[in-house]
Amino acid sequence: MATTPVDAEQPPVPLVGTGRASTGPRREPADLQRTFQLILATVWLLDAVLQLQPFMFTRGSGGFSGMLTGMAPGNPGWIARTITWNGSFVYHQPILTDTLFAGMQFVIAFGIVWRRSLKAALALSIVWSVGVWWFGEGLGGVFNGGATPFGGGPGGILFYGLLAVLLWPSEGPDRPFVAARTVGVRVAKVVWAVVWTLLATLSIVGSGRSPQTLHDLVANMNSGQPGWLAHLDRSTEAFFLHHGTPAAVALAVMCVAAAVGVFLPARVTQVTLVLAMVVFAAIWIAVQNLGGILAGGSTDPNSGLLVVVLALIYWPLSPTSTATDDVTLPTSRGVQ
Amino acid sequence: MTGPSWLYHLFAVLMLVVAAYCLVLLVFSIKEHRMSGWDVDVAHVLMGTGMAGMFITELAFGPTWTWELAFVVLMIWFVARSIQSVQEFGIHLPHYAIHAVMSLAMLLMFAFPGDATRVPAPSMAMSSSAGSRLDPGLGFLLAFAFFASAIFTLASPRKGAAHHGSHVPDYALVGSVAPDRSDGSPMVTVANVSMIERVVATPWLEDASHVVMCVAMGLMLVLMI
Repeated sequence: MATTPVDAEQPPVPLVGTGRASTGPRREPADLQRTFQLILATVWLLDAVLQLQPFMFTRGSGGFSGMLTGMAPGNPGWIARTITWNGSFVYHQPILTDTLFAGMQFVIAFGIVWRRSLKAALALSIVWSVGVWWFGEGLGGVFNGGATPFGGGPGGILFYGLLAVLLWPSEGPDRPFVAARTVGVRVAKVVWAVVWTLLATLSIVGSGRSPQTLHDLVANMNSGQPGWLAHLDRSTEAFFLHHGTPAAVALAVMCVAAAVGVFLPARVTQVTLVLAMVVFAAIWIAVQNLGGILAGGSTDPNSGLLVVVLALIYWPLSPTSTATDDVTLPTSRGVQ
Repeated sequence: MTGPSWLYHLFAVLMLVVAAYCLVLLVFSIKEHRMSGWDVDVAHVLMGTGMAGMFITELAFGPTWTWELAFVVLMIWFVARSIQSVQEFGIHLPHYAIHAVMSLAMLLMFAFPGDATRVPAPSMAMSSSAGSRLDPGLGFLLAFAFFASAIFTLASPRKGAAHHGSHVPDYALVGSVAPDRSDGSPMVTVANVSMIERVVATPWLEDASHVVMCVAMGLMLVLMI
């Protein structure tokens, strides 16, 4: 069968400027909103796969149902009852329910990928995250005073829903920052301020500023972690035991600075965003232990990673940063 | 590896389907003298077969060192191709990079089987580090990279790029046209291709094989954590 050999190659378009003329086809401007939607989809895919871990299909205190019912204590009675009811349901049908839960997260992840199902998947993402926050995270410990952002308060899953809202698809430019593209600059900034004020408050209320509580938060995560992380945990535990309250206050101050930062000139905003990202990246690793994934008993990466993504979509963009060929982020338009 | 056996059987079957599909693609590539994608086909055949044996013990065969050797060779090949691509076309992220990382992941999964891979004892005995555990941090990083690759591959309008790269014009046997080819760059027309070949070499199907491989490999890495 005669065919034309396909061996001709032509230059790809560089992802970053190389200082030499590109001979390939001109690259379209980066659609950063789409890129962040796909990052959200990637995290949902991670969650879906984590849901397929063997222990998630089992009953008892070490299984998924035990994990759910363990979230009930400390909540108001009627809320606790809904959580234990859900835990009981999962207890009786562990394989069916876990398969459904994993399937739902696969649907959200791949639904975001296809533009036709994007809005439906993001809507499902919002609904699902609220449901998981209630039934799976016990409302993040908000009602029992244990919702410190160090531990993921007010609930890592809520950030999935928040990102779904802020990344709701719309036409238009990504400037002045991606989060403003759909909801507008004013609303996006108010949302940001509310979120960070809440984080600041949760840092210092309830047990959030208790050195012993913060120490125990890390100590309880220590089991099963790889050596380097367990070593880091021991340092964090000691730090919290001796400086827990100042650390909580410092976190609250940083959160307030971040909340205010978006209303200040772009350069100041960038400084506060970098600070917020560095602090929450450090918390994600040294306190949240990447959500406990490395110990093999986790269902999601907790809040640290999502907070960093949230900060990125508020990054002030220069007028040319999404309209040139010099793109440093992988985009949906040809990451390969 | 405890848990529902049907799940692991499902992924083992998916891996064998991907391996078989890429074997057919490889045959077509040789037959039609295609210069791109054949190395990815070879990698996917080996990865699919190896992964199936990890999900289901009964499907595992061959001494571990041969698998390790195969994936070392593949990894070196893809790293070399990545360097070559960057040298030729300037700074960009060549698609070979993700295949190099996937080869590295396969190598690590064979080298550090832990408890999850279910590689039978005879073949494990050939491994220099049988019973050792893959660093969970590295496993997580690799898994996350594969999930990102799966998502961005599916979303990319350049179908088939994960298989052939974005610098091969109209790579597939079907001669599909990439959506952003309005710049007058050369387009290859492929004629006299059978219906079967058209179906098998559909770019989105090639992408799908990469996506399935990424998800399965990510799952296996998570199970090994």
